[in-house]
Amino acid sequence: MLRVQNASVFFPGRDGGTIHALDRASLDIDANSIVVALGASGCGKSTLLNAIAGFLPLSDGSITLDGRPVERPGADRGVVFQKDTLLPWKSVLDNVALGLDFAGLPLRERRDRAAELLRLVGLEGFAKAAPHELSGGMRQRVGIARALATDPKILLMDEPFGALDSLTREQMQELLVDVWARTGKRIFFITHSIEEALFLGTTVVVMSPRPGRIVARFDLDFVRRFAAERDVRAILSDPEFGDLHNRIRDLVHRPHHAAVHRGETLQ
Amino acid sequence: MTDAARTTTAPLAEPAARPRTVALRPFGLDGARTGPISAVTGFLLIAMWFLVSHYRLVTPLFLPAPGEVAAQFIAILEDGYAGATLGEHVSASLLRILTAALIAASLGIPLGLAMGLNRWAKGVLDTPIEFYWPLPPLAYLPLMIIWLGIGEVSKIALLTLAMFAPICLSAQAGLRSLPIERVNAALSLGATRWQLFRAIVLPSALPEILTGLRIAIGVGWSTLVAAELIAATRGIGFMIMSASHFLATDVVFVGIGIIAAWAFAFSYGMHLLESWLVPWKGKT
Repeated sequence: MLRVQNASVFFPGRDGGTIHALDRASLDIDANSIVVALGASGCGKSTLLNAIAGFLPLSDGSITLDGRPVERPGADRGVVFQKDTLLPWKSVLDNVALGLDFAGLPLRERRDRAAELLRLVGLEGFAKAAPHELSGGMRQRVGIARALATDPKILLMDEPFGALDSLTREQMQELLVDVWARTGKRIFFITHSIEEALFLGTTVVVMSPRPGRIVARFDLDFVRRFAAERDVRAILSDPEFGDLHNRIRDLVHRPHHAAVHRGETLQ
Repeated sequence: MTDAARTTTAPLAEPAARPRTVALRPFGLDGARTGPISAVTGFLLIAMWFLVSHYRLVTPLFLPAPGEVAAQFIAILEDGYAGATLGEHVSASLLRILTAALIAASLGIPLGLAMGLNRWAKGVLDTPIEFYWPLPPLAYLPLMIIWLGIGEVSKIALLTLAMFAPICLSAQAGLRSLPIERVNAALSLGATRWQLFRAIVLPSALPEILTGLRIAIGVGWSTLVAAELIAATRGIGFMIMSASHFLATDVVFVGIGIIAAWAFAFSYGMHLLESWLVPWKGKT
């Protein structure tokens, strides 16, 4: 289990002050779950992800993965970035195999494993292509395959579909659900799209800015239903989906009022 | 679908067999073809040279006829110049520039990368490099000759100094252009420090390093000829200098032509090296 306990982050501000980017956030990510952090920019959701990835030390609090403290980046936590970080000098296949190369696997073995992952993300015909020959959505697929290659315990996704057009985005969401259903990876996913959060999350935590704080938590089953029935329209037209959408919308726009007013679980 | 949402369209006429293709109106050159214009310009310049010398508009002492230069080239090719064959002059120059380039690159690339990674390397090396590299190499050539003599060592040292700075600075620039996300991605894939350097840092800096190398070769040629003008008994620069003492303008032209040909060959070689080593450059 990945456990975040009372994680706080302060950044140095102007005039010797400090910016309270993350305020005592606590979060558990269990096996087979997708935890989505949702919030406007500046709410600390990327800060939280960077801390879990080990890119950023905490000012206070702790993060543990299966009981061991998280201190630095490592192959047990795969990261998919918003910006494409593929290496332009390597083929798609070798980009996916990068983590296996670092792990010292022999060439044959890592290519076989990478080819298998490319099939999983629907890019089997593009092994030899260069990253710049792919579209934005395809590059993010490669990014997902690359992060999965080292078989991490958790997948951290920092607004991975934020830069994609809305049609591609829907395809990528469905692809992610497929990957999740097949691999059973736990996922921590960041977005500012309420619809995306509702569609993907087994748990959605809503965050508010200044200081970045988790203000509400919802446990959902839309994604499990989608994985079983594969009917997007049934989910989007479910009255509960629309109702939650409105409630979260209020929370995001007026986090303190709405939460107290509607009696949500405040953390 | 309701009636209001339904649309009707009239059947379209078949498109023409060869439709007129269009593109957004460009600003500036935007990759327009300039090759033919350049070729015609070159042709016209040579034609003017022929005309000017044919009608003796300028005395041959200042501007020898193309035929004379060609004849002189063949004469030097056959008999050599100032006690050495043309091959010996050319190889003397090439040996100097290539040796210096090799030394400058093998020092400049690691030191430049170290300066981009390490506070101490940057702090210590910045002072001498920032002090010497804006100086014109000819300003410290006399010092090189006093310290190292008039042999090969002083010339190669001068060239190495002139070529080191652009290579070292470009290696630093290459490191600065490395996006932090790329580093983080590699670390979260389990890269060790050495793997990070080999698989991410070095290839990311390579395009900038090759640009630096290209600039360094250009600097190398100008410094080389200048160094040979002052203290040498072999080399293309020496040949030009020596010929100018005897007002042998045609030999000067031959020397300039040889340098131009080699500089062009080097530049083309660097271009090939870039398309072989960094084919991804500019495609992100």
